Formats: sequence, structure tokens, C-alpha cells
Amino acid sequence: MSRVAVVGIGHSRFGRRTDVNLGELAFESIKQAVDDAGVDRKDIGNVVVGSAGGWYEESLPAVVVGEYAGLSGAGTMRVEAACASGSAAVKAAYNSIMSGETDVAMAVGVEKMTEVDTPTSVELIGRAGSYTWEFENYGMTFPAYYALYAVAHMKKFGTTQEDLARISVKAHHYGSMNPLAQFQKEITLEKALGSQMVAWPLKLYDACPLSDGSASVVLASEDVAKTLTDTPVWIRGVGYSSDTANLSRREDYVGLRAAVTAASKAYSMAKVSPREIDVATAHDCFTIAELMAYEDLGFCEKGGGARMVREGETELGGRIPVNLDGGLKAKGHPIGATGVSMAVEITKQLRGEAGRHQAPIKHGVGLAHNIGGTGHYAYVTILSRD
Amino acid sequence: MAIRHWRVKDRYYRLIGSRCTECGAECFPPVYRCRKCGSEKIEDREMPQSGKIVTYTQLHEPLPGFEAQAPFYLAVVELDNGAKMLTQLVDSTDESVKTGAKVVATVRRARVDGDSGQITYGYKFRVT
Repeated sequence: MSRVAVVGIGHSRFGRRTDVNLGELAFESIKQAVDDAGVDRKDIGNVVVGSAGGWYEESLPAVVVGEYAGLSGAGTMRVEAACASGSAAVKAAYNSIMSGETDVAMAVGVEKMTEVDTPTSVELIGRAGSYTWEFENYGMTFPAYYALYAVAHMKKFGTTQEDLARISVKAHHYGSMNPLAQFQKEITLEKALGSQMVAWPLKLYDACPLSDGSASVVLASEDVAKTLTDTPVWIRGVGYSSDTANLSRREDYVGLRAAVTAASKAYSMAKVSPREIDVATAHDCFTIAELMAYEDLGFCEKGGGARMVREGETELGGRIPVNLDGGLKAKGHPIGATGVSMAVEITKQLRGEAGRHQAPIKHGVGLAHNIGGTGHYAYVTILSRD
Repeated sequence: MAIRHWRVKDRYYRLIGSRCTECGAECFPPVYRCRKCGSEKIEDREMPQSGKIVTYTQLHEPLPGFEAQAPFYLAVVELDNGAKMLTQLVDSTDESVKTGAKVVATVRRARVDGDSGQITYGYKFRVT
């Protein structure tokens, strides 16, 4: 079977980006990725734009971004998988190469969420589940969805608010080393625990921010990749799955079934086990989401997430460092950009280009865990040096 | 808005869900194919009005339109027939809201339409 490699990466600064419009924001990462790949724009056969949309003015982001970046003419589409739109874009670009349609494709993730005010953003995200049955009459919000999981996890496994706060402290610690992160300041455990309550037990510092940003990757077929770079990072496995719109239909509230399924498919396709993962990104839209990800990905047994936090197993120097770029919490979470940003981060780590937050690479394998909604969509992507 | 609510009024006001005539599984909100056995032989069924809390949260930062209620409890409730629904908990003390607590349904004002002022009613639950 032929293979597909990441041959170019680009990443904008994340944060409140009133200084650029949608096209300019996307271009920041597209230009870096195209230059990094050293590829001619006319050879890029497919440009897949991951963007959930709703907050910015443009209704056809793929063509707006394509024109500004000089990519008009390539095949293109916008894909949506909520907060996993970026990973869906990577998957769609990957497919177009694996199918033989093109030798070079791009995945661009972009979101400009701060073009609407915060209550509107929160409402748009709150509608992510079942509008009629869970949002409209009851006022469910996105933090409240994850809080239902947090309460169940705390009740069943003894996970504490302090365990969750430690994940936030870790994110800010690594965010302080990432010049592209929205928040580059360390925080204390006391500050996280004392922050404003949003949906008990989740507080302001358990939640990622609303962000603007973009990230891009250039993918190439094996033959072309070898002509472009000496350091290709191969997409070894992509697993994806989904779950019910209504949270009330879920079997339990201590993990995300879609993530477990996606992980299992990705491990099987890549022929690796969780023990071989050197470094990972986990979808920490809320701290509880990262903790459940450790378990859903098989980094520990079900219920062992809090122990991994307490023992520092997911910090630099620990067994599997997670979110060394600051994660969604500190780096920021421009919804459509996040999955591509994860692919960029894992590629950097596997190339040994992560600088101050470089993880030791033993097996040459990294993993990106990207969730849309509250486990409505799940994508797990495994990358490797060989 | 009004027409959409009229279409689902039985579901909103009488908790009408689905029952599979093949395997007997009941669920809410309604489905057209049984989630348990896959049968399409589905009939309407009024849900029991009591159950227990599966998990919950107390929302402190509400959406626009829900400010007056905050902070309020949201919960996944498992009804006595095994169907689960997401709902608000009302008239319940902080001490009484916990996993496993028994709850009963109660009709309450759900929301007021911002444009027309139309009031929508629906079921919420309280701890017994």
C-alpha cells in the first residue's frame, strides 16, 4: 500500500486576531506550509478547508481562502466535524492522495470566532448537540455537557477538582513556551481552583478560550514526498467515529465511546500500541476531556486518568507527554484549526523541531486526538517518522 | 417557532416517546427505528413521570434568555422504564441533588420567545 506524508507545516499565532481577515489569517499558515514543503502551488491538486463557521461573515471560506493564497483552480471544499473539522480536513486531503487523485494535497484549518460577541459564540457552541431536545428548553451549554461527564467521572473514580486544575496548570506551563499560543503565562493551582464557576465542577480555568487562528499541512504521496524532503512524517493511521446528538442517548458519562472506537481503528491501521506513543495531543476543550482522553486512548486503564495527572505521567519527562504546545486550553481553540494544529505539533515533535517543549522521541510515533462536540465526532491520527 | 412547537406538542407536554413493539425497549425523545433491536415497528408511548438522576451539573454561566434562572441544575435522568432524558431540575435543594436521587416530572415554563413573547411550557423534574 502506498503511503502519505506530511511534508510541510504552517501555524498562525492563535488568539484574538482583529488584525487580519479570514483570508489573511489562513494565508499566514498556508504560506509557511507551502514554503516548508518547497512545493509549487500548481502541483497542489486538492485544498481541503476545515472550518465549522457561523461566526465569520464568509459563507464559502474555502474559495475565499483559496483565492487569497493563490490556490484558485485546485479542487477544494470546506469540511465540518465541529471541533474536529481540522482532523476531518487532514483525513479528506489524505484520502485524495491515497485514492490516486493527486500527489499533493493541503489541509487548512481556520476559524475566526471573535467576530461575534461571547454570548453569541457560547450559544452557537451550545447548539452543538440536540437543539430541540437538549438546548432549546433547558439552556444546555457546552461547558454543561462536559460538566455532566466530570460529575459522573468524579463520582465513579474519585477524580477531584484539583486533578482537573492540574491539567490546566500543565497546559499554561507549556503554553508559556509557545510563542504562537493565546495564553503564554503560567498559572498556579490556587488560581485555577479559585476561578469563576461556569458549570459545576468546571470553572473558567477548566475551559479553553474562544480563538482565531489557522494551521496548515501539505501532504504528499510517498514518491513525491521523497523528492521534497528528508524528514517526511508519515500518516500511519486515521481512525474516526461518531456518537449520538442527544447526550441522553449515551451509555455512560465517564468516557467518549467515539474516541475509544476511533483510537482502536487508528492503532489497528498504524499497527502500533499505546505503549509506543512518544508524544500526543489530546482534545482538552475542558480539563475533564483531556483526563478522559488518557483513558479512551488506552494510555491507562479506565479510571486511571487522575493517577496519570497526579504522577505527572503526561508531563515532559513522564511516560507519554501530552499537549506540550499548551493544548486547546492555553494555545487556544479556533475550532476548525485545532485538528490541523495538532498535526503540525506532532510533526514538529517527530522532526525534533519543538525547541523548549521537545519530547524525547524513542519509537518515532506520535498521536493526535481531536474531538468534535461532546464526543459527537472523534478523530485519532497516528503519525510516525518511518 | 410556533409551528415547530405545535408539531412536537405531544412530546413537549405529555412526554410522548417511543416503544418498540418487537423488543419492548422504550426511549425519549422519539425515534423511528429501535435503537436496541433495529426494528421499525415503533409506537408512541407516554413516558413514566419518575426516575433517578444519572449525572448532573449546576450551570452558573447561562445562555441569553436563561439568566433569570441561574444558577440552575441540568441533569440526565433515567426514567423508570429505562429511557433517559436531559432535563432541568427545579425546586430541589442543593443537598438533595445527587447521583441516584429519585425525581418526578413537573410542568414548568420552559422559555419565552424573544420576538413574540410566546411562552413555551415543558417538563422539568424535581427531587422527591
